[in-house]
Amino acid sequence: MKALDIFSYSISSIKLRKLRAGLTTLGVVIGIAAIVALLSLSQGFQGSIAAQVQKGFATNTVIVSTQGGSPQATGSDLKLFVNDTQTIDQIGNVTMSVAVIQKSVYLKVGNKTLAVSIVGVDFDKYAEIYSSTFAAESGSIPSSPQNETVVIGKRVNDPWENGTLFSNVNDQAEIIWSTRSGFALKNESYTGVVAAVLKEVGGFSLGGTADSTVYIPLLQAQSFFGSDECNAIIVQLESDSEATIESFTEAIKEAFGDQVSVMSSTAVLDTVSSLFSTIEIFLTGIAGISLLVAGIGIMNIMIVSLMERTREIGILKALGMRGRTVLLIFLGEAIIIGLMGAAIGIASGWGLANVFSMVGFSALGQGLTKGQGLTITPTLTPTVFFGAFAFGLLVSVVFALYPAWRASKLKPVEALRYE
Amino acid sequence: MAAPVVEAIGLRKTYHLGKVPVEALRGVNLKVEKGDFLAILGPSGSGKSTLLNIIGALDKPTDGKMFIEGVDIFTLNDNQLANLRHRIGFVFQFFNLIPRFTARENLELSMSIAGMSKVERRKRTEDLLGTVGLKDRMRHKPTELSGGEQQRVAIARALANNPSFLLMDEPTGNIDSKTAAEIIGLIKRLNEEKGVTIIMVTHDQRLVSETKRTVHMLDGLFVEENVN
Repeated sequence: MKALDIFSYSISSIKLRKLRAGLTTLGVVIGIAAIVALLSLSQGFQGSIAAQVQKGFATNTVIVSTQGGSPQATGSDLKLFVNDTQTIDQIGNVTMSVAVIQKSVYLKVGNKTLAVSIVGVDFDKYAEIYSSTFAAESGSIPSSPQNETVVIGKRVNDPWENGTLFSNVNDQAEIIWSTRSGFALKNESYTGVVAAVLKEVGGFSLGGTADSTVYIPLLQAQSFFGSDECNAIIVQLESDSEATIESFTEAIKEAFGDQVSVMSSTAVLDTVSSLFSTIEIFLTGIAGISLLVAGIGIMNIMIVSLMERTREIGILKALGMRGRTVLLIFLGEAIIIGLMGAAIGIASGWGLANVFSMVGFSALGQGLTKGQGLTITPTLTPTVFFGAFAFGLLVSVVFALYPAWRASKLKPVEALRYE
Repeated sequence: MAAPVVEAIGLRKTYHLGKVPVEALRGVNLKVEKGDFLAILGPSGSGKSTLLNIIGALDKPTDGKMFIEGVDIFTLNDNQLANLRHRIGFVFQFFNLIPRFTARENLELSMSIAGMSKVERRKRTEDLLGTVGLKDRMRHKPTELSGGEQQRVAIARALANNPSFLLMDEPTGNIDSKTAAEIIGLIKRLNEEKGVTIIMVTHDQRLVSETKRTVHMLDGLFVEENVN
């Protein structure tokens, strides 16, 4: 019997029981849709995080800090000081290093006050490292700034994203720093002049330029906060190769002992991607269970169908149909169900992911994601696409194998006698 | 001289119903030449159906030799047996058409199983349905056809692959007597005009009287043979 004839026989069997075939297909659809939706969301999420990391963090820069890059991981007594940059500059492959002093302060413009993060940094070097992000949208960043010079991020300029400006170029801005002296709060302040508003950066600021930050000259920060201690030193290396980053890390360990850490964008991306692959395995596992259930559904239906069609199979065999052909007819039905289920499943999973990324995440992550300009665009990679297709097909065929095999082994005489 | 269409030598068939062996055939010898028209008679349980299944290559005997067109079916594997069945036209008491297909599709299915091309299938189907007088009913499904019409479709289907013989199991057993007369006429015409070899099991005396030869079976043996 020709392949096309076998196929059209399978089709006619499916057409005979449309509702049943539809429900069986639905099982596959749900399983595949779940896999596709979860994976494309997860990959989209991962992609946008990676993009943000790369955006705010040139790949040839690393951040040296005592905190392992995360505010929770304290536990080090060592402090970095502004003049540690001199030590770092001595290390090979280093083109430049910039000390960063960061504090939380209040910024008062007119009669409005805003809590911001303030960063004291050498404007020239910082602008060189982050040339694309530490750039003025209005005003200009002076190269040898006055002590009173203040450069503000876009979210300090327009914190509510609605055009109601908090501060703008040439505004007088009072910087208020609260320190504790015993039980009493003591406010120290000075008045600066906004020289520039930075372009919007979006995303995370892993040491790089951030939208909700106020920048002041390093010397001013040292004298205002009365300390040479710095939070981190941003180092630009000659290349972003792994070997360069590694040898630099070694040199830092030698100079400062184990109490400082070196964070590179590559390392961050590695951590992110390994975290996501764990999550993806977990998600695929869960979605896989639903596909397994669908497979059992296919098997169940096929066995029922086998019972119902025993006599038919007997007739076919009496007409000279080979056992192998009977097997192929049953497998053909499973393949059609699997293909339809996979196709509809991928389409609806993709749609679901998009709907969810629009509705779900914006509602869920108002503060978390929107404020930082992080949007998740679901990504359907070829691997997920073809993987889902193959998986749907595989499950359908595997679970149809047993009933198909039983059908092919039916003895014609007994099958014909079956009522 | 060509080999007989069917030749059975010392056929035995033993079933096991639980632990009790049942001898359905106890040494049957049969030779059917081309153009023959044979009726196998006998009470139920005499082994007629078992014999028919073996002649139809649906079942294998426990012992003895069974030649179809000179080929010993014992030497054939399952695929070869399936191929052999293309050459055997089965007509069943309960028609056994596939309910979801129209008359035409039922015939074409049988031809496609034998690997016939689509164009040839089309033409041959129309010819055969013309032969059994159902050309205008070919787009009807079995449920839309009377018993007699269904049996005529079944006979046309049995002829689909130009078989070496027709094997009929009570072809008039499930239709009213008036329609049965038409079927009998059709079967007789096939044998007389087209030279189709026919082997059948029947109780219908009107059909028996049209045959060229009858054998009577009892308890798994041929007990009487008549040439009409």
